[in-house]
This record gives sequence, C-alpha cells and structure tokens, in this order.
Amino acid sequence: MAQVLSRPMLRRLAAVPPAYYVFGLLLLTLWLARPNMLNPNVLGIFIRQVVPLGILVLGQLLVMRVRSIDLSGGGVILLINYIITSRSFPDASGLTFVLMALAIGGSVGLLNGYMVAKRRVSAVIVTLAVSIILVGLVQFLSSGKPPGDVPSYMNEIFNIKLGVAPLPVLFWLVCTGVMWLVMQHSIYGRYVEAVGENAEAAVFAGVPVERTVVLAHVLAGLIAAVAAIVQTGSIAVGSVRVGLDLPILAVAATILGGVVFGRGEGGVWGPFFGVLSFALLFVVMTIFGIDDPGKLIAQGLIILMAAILYGWRSKRG
Amino acid sequence: MIAMLRSGFSTRRSRHGLWGVPLVIVLVLATILTVETDQFATRENLFNLVAQAMPLLIAAIGQLFVILVGGLDLSIGSVISFSTAVLSLDGPAALLIPAVFVLTGLVGLINGLVITRLNVHPIIATLAMQYILLGITRILRPVSGGDIPRVVIAAVQGSFLGLPLPLFWGLFVIGLAAKVLYGSRFGLHLFGIGGGVAAGMEDAARNFGIRVDRNIVLAYVACSLFAALAGIFLAGRIVSGDPNVGLLFELDAITAVAIGGTQLSGGVGSLHGTVLGAVILALLANGMNMANISPFVQTAIKGGLLLAIVGLQSRKKMGL
Repeated sequence: MAQVLSRPMLRRLAAVPPAYYVFGLLLLTLWLARPNMLNPNVLGIFIRQVVPLGILVLGQLLVMRVRSIDLSGGGVILLINYIITSRSFPDASGLTFVLMALAIGGSVGLLNGYMVAKRRVSAVIVTLAVSIILVGLVQFLSSGKPPGDVPSYMNEIFNIKLGVAPLPVLFWLVCTGVMWLVMQHSIYGRYVEAVGENAEAAVFAGVPVERTVVLAHVLAGLIAAVAAIVQTGSIAVGSVRVGLDLPILAVAATILGGVVFGRGEGGVWGPFFGVLSFALLFVVMTIFGIDDPGKLIAQGLIILMAAILYGWRSKRG
Repeated sequence: MIAMLRSGFSTRRSRHGLWGVPLVIVLVLATILTVETDQFATRENLFNLVAQAMPLLIAAIGQLFVILVGGLDLSIGSVISFSTAVLSLDGPAALLIPAVFVLTGLVGLINGLVITRLNVHPIIATLAMQYILLGITRILRPVSGGDIPRVVIAAVQGSFLGLPLPLFWGLFVIGLAAKVLYGSRFGLHLFGIGGGVAAGMEDAARNFGIRVDRNIVLAYVACSLFAALAGIFLAGRIVSGDPNVGLLFELDAITAVAIGGTQLSGGVGSLHGTVLGAVILALLANGMNMANISPFVQTAIKGGLLLAIVGLQSRKKMGL
C-alpha cells in the first residue's frame, strides 16, 4: 500500500521545479547563518537588486518555451543604458527614453526572430553575434569610458517604497502576473505551448509556428528594454559593463525554474523563484566569503545540474 | 584536379562544403591588401600574420571536429584562458605541459559525457562549462601575470631554417588534423554521424554500426585538446597567464569554420575550408589594423560577419 502511494508521490515531488527546493534550502541556510537578516526590510533590498534579472527572465522563459534562446539581452541593456546616461540626448524626457528603449528592444527582437524563425539560424549564434555587435558599438561610442550620470528622477522612482515593499519589486510582480495571464489565458499562450511541445505537430494543427517564434523574440526584446530601464534606475552612474552577465543568469534562473527548451512545467512562477534563489545565493555566497570566481562556478554548475536533471527526466519519460 | 576545384563551388551537396568561395575571398583580400598598402606584402608582416592567425587556426580546427557531428563547443575560450593560467603556475615545464593536456582532455571528456550520456544539449552543456572553467581560471590567476616555461616561449618565438616557428606549428596541426579527419576511421565516422544528424535521422549512423556516443565524446576531447594547444601557443606569445585572453574565442572559431563552407548542422565541411576561414579572419584583422579601425568596431564587424555567414546557411531545424 505504502509503495503504491509513494510512487506517484515521488514522481510528483520530482516534477516540482528545482527552484523551489533551492530557494527553501538557501532560506534555511540564511536563517541558520544570519537570522537577523531575515526581515522584510533587508530582504526587500536584496530582492530589489535582482528585479532587472527577474524582468529579463520573463522574456527568456518565453523564447525558451518555443525551443529558442536569447542571449542578446546584455547588448540591449548596455546600449539603452548608454543612450540614457550619455549626454547624446540632453533634452529627452523620461517618456522619450522609454519609447527609444522599446524601439531598440523591439527591433533587436525582430532581427533575432527573423534570423531564428525564417532563416533557421542557430538562436545561440544569432543572439550572441547581435550582442557582440551592440557591445562593440557602445564601447566604440564611449571609447570604453563610463558615459555619465543617470537622470536623478530614475533613481528616485527606483527607490520608492510602498509600505515595506520597494516599488521595483511590486512592478516585477505585476509584470510576472501579466506574463502568467498571457501564457495561461491567451490564444498566443496556447500557440507557444503547442510550438514548444512539438513544432511539427503544431504546423499540422494550423498553428502559425514561424510567427509565434518571431513574436516571442520581439516580446523578449521589448522585455529586455524594460529590464534595461529598471537596471539603469538602479545605478547612479552609467557604465560600459552593466548588464553583461544578465542573459546567462536569466538562462540559469529559467532552467532552475523548470522551463527547458519546449518543456514548461515551471510555468511563470518557477523561473520567478529561480530569480529569487539567485538573489539569496548572492547573499549567502557573500556571507561565506565566496567571491566572483566562485559565483561564476556556481552559475555554471546550476545551469549544468538543472539541464542534467531535465535531460535525465526526458530520457526516462 | 579540375573536378576537385569544381566541387568547391558546386551547390550540389558535397561532403567538403563550399570551400571554393573562401578560397576566392582569400585571394581577393590578399590582392586588395597588397595593392592598397605598402606594409602588407612584406616578409615581416606576413610572418607576423602567421603568428597572429595561429591560435585561431588551431582552435577553429578543434571546433571543426564537434561541428562535423552537429555539435558546438562554447567552452574553448575558457579552455584557452585556463591553459595559459596553468602554464603560468610555478613548476617545471615537463610537469605543466602534460598537465594542461590532461586537464583540458578531462574537460572535453566531461563535455562529451554530459552531452551523450546525460542527454544535455551541447550548447547548454558547453556554455555551463565555459562559466565553470572561467571561474576556476580566475582562482588560479585572478589577473594576468606569472612566468611561462622557457621552452614554450622559445617554441613560439624562435625560428628554424630562417623561417619562424609558428609556420611549423601550423604545418604540424594541419597535418595532424588531416591525418585524423581524412586518414582514420574516427574521421570518417564523424562525417557519417553528422550527416545523419543534419538529415534529421539521428539513428542513421548507429544503424550502420558506428559507435555514435563514443565518437562524439572523442570529438569533444579532440576539440578541447586543440584549444589547449592554441592556449599554449598564446601563452608563448603573451609570455604570461591571462584569465581573459580566450574571451569570445569560441565565436571567432565558429566564424572561421562557418566562413570555410562548413555547415553548422553537421556532416558537411572540410579542413581546407576551415584553414581558409581562419586565414580570412586573420587578413581582415590585419587589414583593419592597418586602416586604424578601432578594436571595438572590429569586434562589432566580426559579429556582423558571423551573423551574415550563418544567415546564408539554411537548415531544417528551428531554434537552438
């Protein structure tokens, strides 16, 4: 009897995205090591730092659901950060910056989508190439020097708190909620699911596969633009290195959250907790005195472990 | 001879890919550089060019092995940096040089096993390895420095019979790769495995009795070892260990292989095409340096080139 019960139980437990376990484990570690850190004010600050990553992940999970990937977010964030902080557009208002950012993100996404869906080029190569082009461009324009200051109103908006909750964190929650609605309750969400499960079957079922993939990349580009604006608000001075490690972290958080190339058990909230796990991971690593090389190794290991877990599951199932 | 030349331009499927096109590009670039500049066709510049092109040439040949089986190795940039870092540690050359090959061979072995046994996509597996190995490299050598064994420096910077040694490195590497790719069963099987993958029939090679998994693992080991050799060469050139020297090398290597007419979907490609691809990138870099183009713009141009080249290659699969 117990055996019969435990088997489906085990299977259900194994289907829970690793992000939830990792998040719980890190929370426990933090509680044991630094119990005084576990109050809403301190945690709010930690979580606020990963909001740009959290937003970028929303685009990443979308493209990964359709068996693609987007590594161009770093270039998009860098370029938008450069445009806002350099004095190239002294009279531009906040709204103009937002529109410019969305135009950049959207067109980069469109290029990615066209190359991936229509030209059938490997998504990793396309988005990496686009990223190096953008990074090279920004470094050339700025001659490798930090461009300038972030407009102070952006910092002020970023620092607003409603009660204990920082505004960026609430904004991230709302964005994730919207993404959840799109994935769960829109026709486009169904298309994404169909393409991810089996692109060939989707073609025969009348799903516009190429358009779905192109749109996924365009949305990912727009989302990267939003992440760029939030990222810019979080720093006081522009930089020519800002955001470059975000795309790979976004991939790691998405895989950790149970969304791997075509398979989407983790939904939208799995990757959400994947990002939260990274927020805690950085804190825990700092507490234990692990510096940058250790963080690189941890990122790589997390990607590898999560991918191995899913590869093993799909081989058995 | 004419038939062979024609095969390089044929749009009909040839196992070697379109290597005639890069040959023409090389000739055109060399002609332009000779006519437009005084410095290009000098003995000094040409020898310098060989030394500059060598790390990329070696790494690209390694990358060719995994691309032929329809894979991709994004970890070679870190393997190169790691190799220079290991060489710059304190110790005798007789210990450090074998250590580089053993450790990087192990990296390739892990890549291959994770991909074949644990069913992880090559790009994800090697991307993860890129980060893990970069972290390890930065622990070994946080900033560039250290001493490189004298043997290595002499082997890279010396000359023999009046010719610079890098020329002999090139001949050795090309000869070795030619022997493995065209003169061994392993090489033939690589083409067989990749051809099946590209045609959407992953089981084709297995059905012909080829040990697919084992050959794929060996291809990743070979790729890592070639990257290690490129790293050793670079260490001899920059005379220190540098954790960032291999940054973005994987993309340059992929660009060189792709320009050489090799299909990234696997099964179709050639060593001579890859050599020509590496020469094209070296000529472009040489030309852009002489034209005083900013290194940042050069990076952007190389990215654009990669995008254009892969955009011209059609394949069936969509996505990764």
